Amino acid sequence: MQKKLSSQLIEVYKTQHGGVYQCNTKNAFCLEFGNSRSFFKISDFLNFIKKINGIDIAEMAKNTSRHADIAIVMPHYTERCFVLTITDVINLREIVNGAKFMLQLNSILRECMTTLV
Amino acid sequence: MKDLLRLRTSLSEEIEALLNEQIKTEAYSSAVYLSMASWCNRNGFDNSASYLEKQSYEEREHMMKLFRFVNDMGGHAISPEITNIPQEFESFRSVFEIALQQEISVTAQFNRMADRCFKAKDFMTFQFIQWFLKEQIEEEYVARRVLELFDVIGEEGTGRWEIDKHIPKVHYDGGESAK
Repeated sequence: MQKKLSSQLIEVYKTQHGGVYQCNTKNAFCLEFGNSRSFFKISDFLNFIKKINGIDIAEMAKNTSRHADIAIVMPHYTERCFVLTITDVINLREIVNGAKFMLQLNSILRECMTTLV
Repeated sequence: MKDLLRLRTSLSEEIEALLNEQIKTEAYSSAVYLSMASWCNRNGFDNSASYLEKQSYEEREHMMKLFRFVNDMGGHAISPEITNIPQEFESFRSVFEIALQQEISVTAQFNRMADRCFKAKDFMTFQFIQWFLKEQIEEEYVARRVLELFDVIGEEGTGRWEIDKHIPKVHYDGGESAK
């Protein structure tokens, strides 16, 4: 059963490190991570997921230089700059990929229900 | 929950990626034809150079058709990065051998896309690429006929000059001449 955080935000996917919520008023997604919230339009959110999945964690772990300890993601469509350690990347990946799966599942279920009706 | 994914675009992620790959292939074809036109021009095959320039332009038009479709369907059409364009060719004949191989490869790619669209039940995109599949009949026919000129006319003596003269005349009438 989906939880509504407020009359506007519906929980899509949540872990102990954060979550993604859908705002039906703005047709946008709200990412809660690292004690702050960022709002994304749908296409920007999918683009953001690609960027997070594109971070090479193996290289971050292998590389002994200090600059490889963090990954900086600065999408132009949000004011927030994400400065992520390896753990942050893994946690954020879990959140955004989990959210994407739930959104795709929602699409499939809606299509099935439309067909039945 | 409102289906924001579907509201954004009619294309699935997989089909959108395939379409963007095809955009890149068409752009690559266009660039290769242009390179071939330049080679023909430098080697004195003026008619072939004009013919290949025209082919280059047509491939770009194909690319734009796909590009506009992706954007029209709410997807993200990606302007492709094109690299590794051959600038030199072994011979006049090899130019057209490569052209035919390129067309065969494009046809195969469209066939794979049609297969994926059918399996994914994306009949809108399946219907859209029918135009390209029909176009590929013409493209392969013309590329094959041009190559056959090398066997029919031969390259000895003034052969290449004759072939160059005949290349712009090759066209596909869709079997109308049989009626």
